[in-house]
Amino acid sequence: MSKKTDTPEDLATLSAEEYKGWSNYHPSDEDNYNQRNQPVRPLLEVKDLSVDFTDANGKPIHAVHKAGFTMYPGQWVAIVGESGSGKSTTAMSILNLLPGTGHITGGSIKLDGEELVGKSQKDYDKLRGRRIGLVPQDPMSNLNPVWRIGTQVEESLKANHMDIAREKRNEFSKALEHAEVRLRNADDELFIGHQDWDDLIRTTLEALASAHVPDVKKVMHHLRHSWVIGSTTRWSVAQDLIVAGLDDDTAWRVAKQHVTGSDMKDRVAGLLDEAGLPDAATRARQYPYEFSGGMRQRALIAIGLAARPDLLIADEPTSALDVTVQKRILDHLQGLTDSLGTSVLFITHDLGLAAERAQYIVVMYHGHVVESGPSLEVLQHPEHPYTKRLVKAAPSLASQRMISAYQHGDANADRFIEHHQRSSEEVAKSKNIITVEHLTKLFNLPHKKEKFKAVDDVSFSIKRGTTLAIVGESGSGKSTVANMVLHLLKPDKGKVIYEGKDTSTFDKKQMLDFRRHVQPVFQNPYGSLDPMYSIYRSIAEPLEIHKIGDNKSRLARVKELLDMVELPESVMNRHPNELSGGQRQRIAIARAMALNPDVIIADEAVSALDVLVQDEVLRLLNDLQAQRGLSYLFITHDLAVVRQIADDVVVMEHGQLVERGTTDEIFEHPQKQYTKDLLDAIPGGKLKLGLDL
Amino acid sequence: MGKYFWHRVLQAIPVVIGTTFIIYALVFLLPGDPVKAMFRGKAANPAVEAQIRSQYNLDKPFIVQYLLFLWNALHLDFGMTFSQQSVIDTIGRAFPVTIKLALMAFVFEAVFGILLGILAGLHKGTWYDGVILVLSLLLISVPTFVTGYLLQYFVGVKWGLLPVTASAAATFNDLLMPAMVLGSVSMASIIRLSRSEIDTNKTADYVRTARAKGMSNYSVTVRHILRNSMIPVVTYLGQDIGALMGGAMITERIFNIQGVGNLTYQAILRGEAPLVVSVVTILVLIFVVCNLLVDLLYAALDPRIRY
Repeated sequence: MSKKTDTPEDLATLSAEEYKGWSNYHPSDEDNYNQRNQPVRPLLEVKDLSVDFTDANGKPIHAVHKAGFTMYPGQWVAIVGESGSGKSTTAMSILNLLPGTGHITGGSIKLDGEELVGKSQKDYDKLRGRRIGLVPQDPMSNLNPVWRIGTQVEESLKANHMDIAREKRNEFSKALEHAEVRLRNADDELFIGHQDWDDLIRTTLEALASAHVPDVKKVMHHLRHSWVIGSTTRWSVAQDLIVAGLDDDTAWRVAKQHVTGSDMKDRVAGLLDEAGLPDAATRARQYPYEFSGGMRQRALIAIGLAARPDLLIADEPTSALDVTVQKRILDHLQGLTDSLGTSVLFITHDLGLAAERAQYIVVMYHGHVVESGPSLEVLQHPEHPYTKRLVKAAPSLASQRMISAYQHGDANADRFIEHHQRSSEEVAKSKNIITVEHLTKLFNLPHKKEKFKAVDDVSFSIKRGTTLAIVGESGSGKSTVANMVLHLLKPDKGKVIYEGKDTSTFDKKQMLDFRRHVQPVFQNPYGSLDPMYSIYRSIAEPLEIHKIGDNKSRLARVKELLDMVELPESVMNRHPNELSGGQRQRIAIARAMALNPDVIIADEAVSALDVLVQDEVLRLLNDLQAQRGLSYLFITHDLAVVRQIADDVVVMEHGQLVERGTTDEIFEHPQKQYTKDLLDAIPGGKLKLGLDL
Repeated sequence: MGKYFWHRVLQAIPVVIGTTFIIYALVFLLPGDPVKAMFRGKAANPAVEAQIRSQYNLDKPFIVQYLLFLWNALHLDFGMTFSQQSVIDTIGRAFPVTIKLALMAFVFEAVFGILLGILAGLHKGTWYDGVILVLSLLLISVPTFVTGYLLQYFVGVKWGLLPVTASAAATFNDLLMPAMVLGSVSMASIIRLSRSEIDTNKTADYVRTARAKGMSNYSVTVRHILRNSMIPVVTYLGQDIGALMGGAMITERIFNIQGVGNLTYQAILRGEAPLVVSVVTILVLIFVVCNLLVDLLYAALDPRIRY
């Protein structure tokens, strides 16, 4: 462990003022803490936590080893690490929801000073939801497909015997609103009910009119939109009315008379609305399959916060989502937890995200906490070698295009210059290797006459030996473009021109030749390799199809390819399930390279990989490009990756080309709002990290 | 939904015509002359024989025989059996018995299959899970006629707990043992199906989410694990109703139950195509209706399914 790790004793004796140094409270809260001036008690203390899994032979596998960290009320703490580092396991052991054979073998977890390890299942039932909430990782699998969204939120309220008519304040939020809370009684926390709404709006309008408040229409419009049935309390209605210009007595009279408490349906809709779902009352009656990933994640946030827990465990809550959606959801979650005084234990593999969102960061590696401390400090001055590697590799922190290994370090300087000159001349002179013109693709919609335009009049060119990236969110049509360029989908309009020839005019032989020169690498290295094929067979298959060489020369070629992607020859006889995700993606690249292609079309080729592995694969692709003059069409949703690898960028939204330019132009001077939003959503994009590296 | 329903109903028409045609052809192709068989090898008066042949259309070519049958069937006229009884009446006597038997078998396999499956699935790896698993494997692998005769010998003959064969009245007691025999194989499949479904759903992400809400183990089990696990089980059960009716033949033979199975068996032996085809047509209709109901039920149980 790094020396920066504070022992719980140290932190427990911090005065409020010192504590504030690395925590971001609302300025108005400071007074309360100063007044009381007593040491802050930690909300969660994890100490020497060890978790084992048992393998098929009954042998223990150590997943977490003597991990420890401390959280304070209202704080966001991030646990960062790659997959398999034990970050999720640590988080799940707090809820005692370890999967399979996982069990805690030692250490202690204290919530508000109360030991959790060794508690009975019944005790945990009382703890979960009410004191510790969970926002799980994968929004697609975490909602039960057969129950309505609203029912699943309702379960959370019922299981914790929540008062659905009133807001529940946790101790910390009471402390934050110290002075005010003393004035409030329980009925001031009543929510607006559906039966209140019409009368409330009417009376408000009358009261505002008779008080001669200027611009009543505008004020009413504002109030109508900020008040939410099942979520806004009597107290905040009164405050809003006072702000709007009513005197205290009238405001409170209106609020008391017309805010009388919500029922279950109101409350469920209110919670969903708080989580950022528009038209929540209708949405609550829908089933999960009718929701997009982002909407499901909002529903899960509503569920996690329904019982107003003191601590929310958010396990990669947005990893499955687009960056812009991620930003919106996390902004919302942050606002919500801040106002409720909820602490968030935030599990992520994304350093930029951790730096941006959390005040305190815990870095885990192979089950150990290798470093922890205030997040900016840890990420700007990492001490542990692993953290340093992580910071270096983080794509969100890269500010320029990767330089190939050939071009820096011990590579022959003359050769580098020669290569550089040659390649830049080539780029300038050579024609485009692939040009697409006016590509359009329509899809049939079920039960609808009109067709869905997945790709709408898209044109661009890939210059020989360079990388063109297509960026966009899911549903922007970028993968459809890739499939049309690969001739896996037939365009409805437009053409793909390869080496000056229209590919739609190719006969069978020419098409085979085209396929030989244009090779794909797909997103999911788990799905794109046949699990029944040995690695040798997978890589040699294209050689067989194109009838290149005999068995002996193919073996030699496969060895050469494995060497190229920096894997040992011994993996030849293994099967995909024996390899890691990064290794599989290398195999997929080796297979694509087997036929010596000119163009590689990489569809989200590094999205499924951990940061460090992603970095390695990107470097490999970059080196191959420098050595062989390959051209890449790189499909990705991750702008940070684009920055590292692309020369030119095409931005797509809803099937249309929004903006195109060189990478520098797009990043430095984006023209369109959509591009700006995308850039803005890169987590930690504006933070300068890794200062000593 | 309505469109889907009518689509399915219309689909049943070619299914019924196709199956009746195949069955009619198969019975027609059976070796031996049904009319000669009627006289049990004794020489018959050629005039009588010819009259019988023309009454049953046996003197006409196969395709004409079939079309005549189909035409009459459309007018709900299924003709007479060789023993000069109305086919409708004969079937009308046999069907209630088989329906009773099939329903008892259905209840037996549903109740015990689901209960044992849940028990084993929720407590995988315990000793009773092992026992249930071995029992289900045994029932699946041993043919019905073996379990049937074994049960008949021990429970019926040796211990005298239940009647050995069914009386003509086919009372509840008469049919209890046959129903258990008939339902045993499906029960074993249901045990295995619900056990594996529960075992998969137990570790589903949404179950963990439910636990994280603070729901009690009981609520999580009922609302999330069992609710989701029962979808494939219910569809399996629905499809099984038809199979039970058709599959009762062996059981009815063992326990001498005067149901559809026995009737069909006798009719095939006599080469009595119209009777066989009439029975099969009804069974096919039951099959089609059951399948349609299952599909509609499936949509009701799983909101993701929309037609």
